[in-house]
Amino acid sequence: MAVDPLVAASVRTTVPLLLAAGGELLSERAGILNIGLEGAVIAGALAATLGVGPWGLAGGYAAALCAGAAVGLLMALFVVVVRADQILTGTAATLLAFGVTGAVYRGVYGATGVALTLPTSAPFRIPVLAAIPGVGSALFDQPAVFYLAYLLIPILWWFLYRTQVGLALRAVGESPAAAGAAGIAAGPLRAAAVTVGSALGGLAGGVLVLAQAGTFAEGMSAGRGFIAIAIVVLGRWTPLGIMIGALVFGVATAMQYVVQAMGWPIRYELVLMLPYLLTLLALMFSPRGVAPAMLARSDV
Amino acid sequence: MRQGPAVSLTGISKRFGPVVAIQDVDLELGAGRVHALLGENGAGKSTLMGVLFGLVRPDRGTIRLDGAEIAIRSPRDAVRLGVGMVQQHFANVGAFTVAENVALGGQGRYRPRVATEQVRITAQSAGLAVDPNARVADLPVEAQQRVEIVRALARGARLLILDEPTAVLAPAEAAALLAWLRQFAREGGTVVLVTHKVAEALAVADDVTVLRGGRRIASGPATGFTLSTLAAAMFPKSDGTDDATRATPPAPATGEPVLRAHGLAVRGDRGERRIVDATFSVRAGEIVGIAGVEGSGHHELLQALAGVRQPTEGILEIPGRVSFVPGDRHRDALILDAPLYENFALHGAGARTGLIGWPAMRGRTQAVMAAFDVKARSPRDTAGSLSGGNQQRFVLGRELDARPDVLVVENPTRGLDLQATASIHRRLREAAAEGAAVLVHSADLDEILALAQRIFVVHAGIVREVPPDRDGVGRAMVGAG
Repeated sequence: MAVDPLVAASVRTTVPLLLAAGGELLSERAGILNIGLEGAVIAGALAATLGVGPWGLAGGYAAALCAGAAVGLLMALFVVVVRADQILTGTAATLLAFGVTGAVYRGVYGATGVALTLPTSAPFRIPVLAAIPGVGSALFDQPAVFYLAYLLIPILWWFLYRTQVGLALRAVGESPAAAGAAGIAAGPLRAAAVTVGSALGGLAGGVLVLAQAGTFAEGMSAGRGFIAIAIVVLGRWTPLGIMIGALVFGVATAMQYVVQAMGWPIRYELVLMLPYLLTLLALMFSPRGVAPAMLARSDV
Repeated sequence: MRQGPAVSLTGISKRFGPVVAIQDVDLELGAGRVHALLGENGAGKSTLMGVLFGLVRPDRGTIRLDGAEIAIRSPRDAVRLGVGMVQQHFANVGAFTVAENVALGGQGRYRPRVATEQVRITAQSAGLAVDPNARVADLPVEAQQRVEIVRALARGARLLILDEPTAVLAPAEAAALLAWLRQFAREGGTVVLVTHKVAEALAVADDVTVLRGGRRIASGPATGFTLSTLAAAMFPKSDGTDDATRATPPAPATGEPVLRAHGLAVRGDRGERRIVDATFSVRAGEIVGIAGVEGSGHHELLQALAGVRQPTEGILEIPGRVSFVPGDRHRDALILDAPLYENFALHGAGARTGLIGWPAMRGRTQAVMAAFDVKARSPRDTAGSLSGGNQQRFVLGRELDARPDVLVVENPTRGLDLQATASIHRRLREAAAEGAAVLVHSADLDEILALAQRIFVVHAGIVREVPPDRDGVGRAMVGAG
C-alpha cells in the first residue's frame, strides 16, 4: 500500500478538526468550555453553502467565519453576560444550530434537499515542498485554507505565550480575581475568546463544504465540534498538544477507510474508537492544574 | 530611589446600601513614612484602602497626591499614580510563573526573558529573594507575599498598601517583612500597614490612625501612643484585650490519655514527607498547642489527627470521638449558600443513614446558636450571611455539640476581631475544662501561648514538645532550639 492515500486522507480529516480544536483551545484557556462549537461547525457549513453562490469562495469562507462567530456571540451573551451554566448553554446552542440550519436548508433548497454541487477550492501547489516523496502532495498540494490551518498552531502558541493579551487570556482562565487586580476586564476577554473560537469552528464547517464535500448535508458536522473538545483534552490545553491530538483523531479516521479498503479482519469502528479511549486515558493521567482552573465555571 | 508620594485623603465617606462603611475620614500619608491603619474588623480599613487603590468609589471626599487633587477610578489609575497594594488574599495566578504574574496587565508583546530580567532586577534592588521562574502555586506563602510586593514595585509603586500582611506569616518571617518595610520607607517609599495587631503597629510605624465604626478615632505620630491608649481607642471596653492574651495557668492535666501517636508518618498532597516518626500522647482536659512555621508539616499533622488525612506509617490511637475545626472555614467547614441547620447536619453526615428529622435538627441548631452566641435571625439563614466571628462560633459550637473526646482546631481566630477572638478562646478553655483534649494550631504564636498548657513544635517534619515560653518555642520553630 502506498503511503500517499493514507496521508492524504489523514490530512483531509485533520484540517477541520485542527481549526475547530484551535478555536476550542482559545475558548477553554479563557475558562469557557464551548459545547456550542459543534453548532458553530454546522452553522459555518451552511453559511459557506449559502455564501459561496453570491460572493464566491472567499465570501463563502467569510460567511462561515461569521456564522461561527454568531454562535460564539450567543454563547458569550449567556455565559459571560447572563452567567448561565456553560454546559447547558453550549448544549442548547448546538441543538439550536442544528434546528436552524436544517430549517434554513430546507427552506432554501426545498423539503427533500436538492443535491447541491458547489464550487470547491482548487489546490494551491507549493513548489519544492509538494515534491517531497510520499507526503509532499498530500500536505502541500491542497487548498490555501489548509495552509492557514497549519499556521494556526504556531500563531496560537505565539498569541498565548508571547503577547500580553494571550497572557491576560490565560490569567482569566486561571484566576479572574488576579486578572482583575492587574486591571484586566475578564468579561470582554472571555466573550472575545469564545467568539473568535467559535468563528474558527465555523471556518472548519466552511472547509467541510468548500474544500472537501462540495455540498451540504444536514448534520454534516458529524460530531467534529465535540471531537475538537476531546482533542483539547488529549492535547492538554497546549497548541502543540492539540496538533498531536488532531493528528491522532485524523489518522484514526483515515485508518477506517484503509481498514475497509484493505479488507483487514478488524472492525473499523474499533479503530475509530481508539482516540476516544486515549482521551479518557489522558483525563485519567492528567496531573492537577493542567486544565484551566476556571474551566466551565460561570461564577466569574 | 524615587521619592514616594505624600497623599492626603480628606472627608472620605462611603455607604453600601444602608450601611455606612466610612464616614468623613481623613488620612495623611507622608513620603518616607510607615503609616499603620488600625481597627477592628468592620472598622472601615478595607473600604478606605479600597478608595485609595481604586477598588471602591467614595460617595464624598477628595484625594490629593503631592498637593494635586486626583481621581482614582480603578486599580489601573492607582498603579499609574504609583500606588501598589498587597491584598490579604493574594491576587496571583497560581499556575503562572513569577515573571508571568509580574508581567500580567501589560500591553503588546510578552517577552519572557525581559520579564524574568525585570523581576530579577526589581527583587534584587529591593532586597527581596524571589525566583522569577518558579511557579507561584509551588511557593510557600511568605514567598508568594514577596512576589506580590515585587509585582507592585515592578509596576512602579512608591506607595505600598499592605492588608494584614503578617496574618499569614510565622514570627521570624513577619519580623523580616516589617524590617523590609522600614527599609523601603527609609529609601523614600510610602507605606500603609493595615493591621489589627497593636504591638506590630507601634513597633514599625511612624504614624498611626485608628478607625472605629467607620470613623477616625485617633491619628498622629506613633510616639504619641502606647499599647493601652491604642487599645482603648480601638476597643472602648478594653477588657476584651486582656482576656484574649491572658496566659492560662498551666493546670496539670490529670485526665486519661485520649490520643496516642507512635512512630506516626504523614505525607502531603504530592506524596512528599510532611511528618516523620512522631510519638506523643494527649490527655483528656488539656489544651496542647501545635506550633510551626508555614510548610513545616503541622497542617498535615492536624489533618491526620482529625482523621481527614491517612497516616502512611505508625500507630494513631484515638478511641473516642474527634471533632475538627479546619483553618479555612469557608472552604472546609461550611457550605456558605446553605442554611445554618443544613450546615449543622454536616457533622456526622457521612455516618448517618436513613431519613433526617429536620425539625429536630433545626431545634438543635437553634440551641447551639443560643449557647454559642451566634448572631443570626434563624437557623434558616445561610452560613454566608454571617460575619466571620459568628461563622467561627457556629462551627465551633457544631463540633463541640458532638461532645468530642478530642477537638482539633486550626487557626481558630484568623481574621476575627479581638472580642470575637476572646469569645472563641473562652469556648476552647471551657471545652477542655469539660474533659475534651484540645489540640490547637495558630499562625499567631501568642495565641498558642495564651491557650496551651503544653506545646508541640513541628519543624521540618519532626514533632517535639517544648516548654511553653515564647523564646524557646520561637527558636524551636525555626529549628534553632
